[in-house]
Amino acid sequence: MIGRRGKLLIALYIVFLVILFLMCSTDLIIREPEKEIYQIAVIIEDAKSDNYVNFRKGMDQAAMEFNADVHFITLYEKRNAKQQTELMERERQDGADALIVVPADEEQAAGLQPVIPVIFLRSGQGEGAGAGSIITDYKKMGEQIAHEMLKDSPADSPVLMLGDMGKQSTVDSLFLEGAKAVYGAAGRSWQIGAGKESVRASLEALTNREGAKVVILAGNPDILTEAAGILADNPAIADRVQGLYGRGGTLPILNYLDRGLITGICVTDEYGVGYLSVRMAVQALEGAFSQLPEVMDSYYVRKEDLRKPVYEKMLYPIE
Amino acid sequence: MPRRKFLFGLAVLCLLLASCSGSQKGERKTSIRIGVSLYRADDTFINNLRSIFEEKAKEYERRNGIKVILDIQDAKGSQNMQNSQVERFISLGCDVLCINPVDRMDASAIIDKAMTAGVPVVFFNRQPVEEDMNRWDQLYYIGVDAKETAILQGKMVVDLYKEQPAAVDLNGDGVVGYVLLEGETSHQDSLIRTEWSIRTLKNGGVPIEKITGGIANWERSQGSALMEQWLSAYPGKIELVVSNNDDMALGAIDALERTKTDGVNVIGIDGTTSGLEALENGKLLGTVSANKELYATVILEMAVSCALGEPPPEEYPLEDGTYYWTPQEILIRENTEAEEMPAQSR
Repeated sequence: MIGRRGKLLIALYIVFLVILFLMCSTDLIIREPEKEIYQIAVIIEDAKSDNYVNFRKGMDQAAMEFNADVHFITLYEKRNAKQQTELMERERQDGADALIVVPADEEQAAGLQPVIPVIFLRSGQGEGAGAGSIITDYKKMGEQIAHEMLKDSPADSPVLMLGDMGKQSTVDSLFLEGAKAVYGAAGRSWQIGAGKESVRASLEALTNREGAKVVILAGNPDILTEAAGILADNPAIADRVQGLYGRGGTLPILNYLDRGLITGICVTDEYGVGYLSVRMAVQALEGAFSQLPEVMDSYYVRKEDLRKPVYEKMLYPIE
Repeated sequence: MPRRKFLFGLAVLCLLLASCSGSQKGERKTSIRIGVSLYRADDTFINNLRSIFEEKAKEYERRNGIKVILDIQDAKGSQNMQNSQVERFISLGCDVLCINPVDRMDASAIIDKAMTAGVPVVFFNRQPVEEDMNRWDQLYYIGVDAKETAILQGKMVVDLYKEQPAAVDLNGDGVVGYVLLEGETSHQDSLIRTEWSIRTLKNGGVPIEKITGGIANWERSQGSALMEQWLSAYPGKIELVVSNNDDMALGAIDALERTKTDGVNVIGIDGTTSGLEALENGKLLGTVSANKELYATVILEMAVSCALGEPPPEEYPLEDGTYYWTPQEILIRENTEAEEMPAQSR
């Protein structure tokens, strides 16, 4: 027989258990130790991510290693600096701890006063801003590929440079500027093809052209891919082309290089850029701001280089 | 009286504590996160679909003011890797998963994880087995009906043969010698496409004779290598190449160009960007194309509805509450008149 006092104790014990259960379910007393996950947003200058495949692989790898949650964001319109600034602000308000930005307008980006750490991926022009920067020197890359083109092509081969005229990005301009400087110094002739809309027209016009075969330099990966596709489907045009060169290491470009439709490409270690950018962002969040920009090397790759371990690892990275 | 006060106090305490954990329910989300895992990101069709999906997500974001965060991962043909990706998506707090399974027979691990976490799954392109799909009412599948695809592929040759027999029976011997390029053996579409495409050709009165066939795993390079072997083993005999997809068909075209063989008809499936270019250039006789814009839209809309806890969108009616079949059309060289089959017509 349980006495009144005993009943009271049992009731209190039950009440205690109920309260304990409720407190546990609301994390008031038992709380899992929280690992800090850094929220990082990557905002590129393009409206699509096709040219960032290897970059994203490096980014994802670093995200796993450094405990970061990385969002990859494309613009609604290519190279729209205003939109990019708005997205940077949106991400900050949504709780991003740091940003990685490929500036749509490098001059404007240099003038920004970011509230949170920002890592800029720049093209080697102007002053750096933010918590750190990774530089790919596209002018130097243009010079490098032009030197290779000079070695490959006969002295009388004119060069046709294809770029997004009118809406050319800083990167494309720097790349073609570098190439022009080398060609100018070597006393070789070059001409600029019209805008991207007429890459096909520019190439088709070659069939009516007399004289030496033409060497083509594409200003960006999209134009290079398009030009290679046109050459693949039009033997008559391909017959008038001495060589096709450009920059970028997307899978379609590598496939065209492997098929011999592209003669040579200049690439950077995109995987490395993706990895480094996230690492720099995490370091910045932990208070280790990088004083000096990280400068990436560029490499000239031909078909026969594709299977060399150093390039294979860089161009076909495995997470 | 003290007892009543005690019980009242206890009830108030319970309500307060319960409200601590439930205060966020009922609010409409302003941001959703979708985890997408692709069986292989270098598959041309999947890559096309991914691009459109990303575009549609941005359009949705702009139109509705709901931020859409996409985590897109490549499983590189490894089911283990895909399972790890699913775990990561869940730990990162994805509201919904869009999964293009590596092994359709082995989706149960993904479903287990998703069910435990209460995260709905929209499968696409590679259909998990029915037993798995029936395990939970938050599993959906968006795809094309493989049988319909195959029938349309066969039909384009049947129609051409009826109109111009000489355009199909190239050597005029009354028999159309064909070779077959097949996709992965583990993919249900591969088996169904092969069976129904050939059956349609036979039933349609095309006098076909199989010369040989092989598995090229959906890949252009493998299709090209096989075709090159066949061209040297059976010179002058191949009149038609029936391929389970456009990439392998393009591989066959590469081999035909390398060996300077003219006139062989090649038919594919998928309507990929490069397939459509080949069609435009007259290298491909025809292809069957799913409406990829719609395909990607339905995946996104379904995912968004799941993420927001809303019922599936009514404009895309689901078969058995689970399956959506994207409409397809025949695209054929020269007279490229599209012939569309309606959705749901299985």
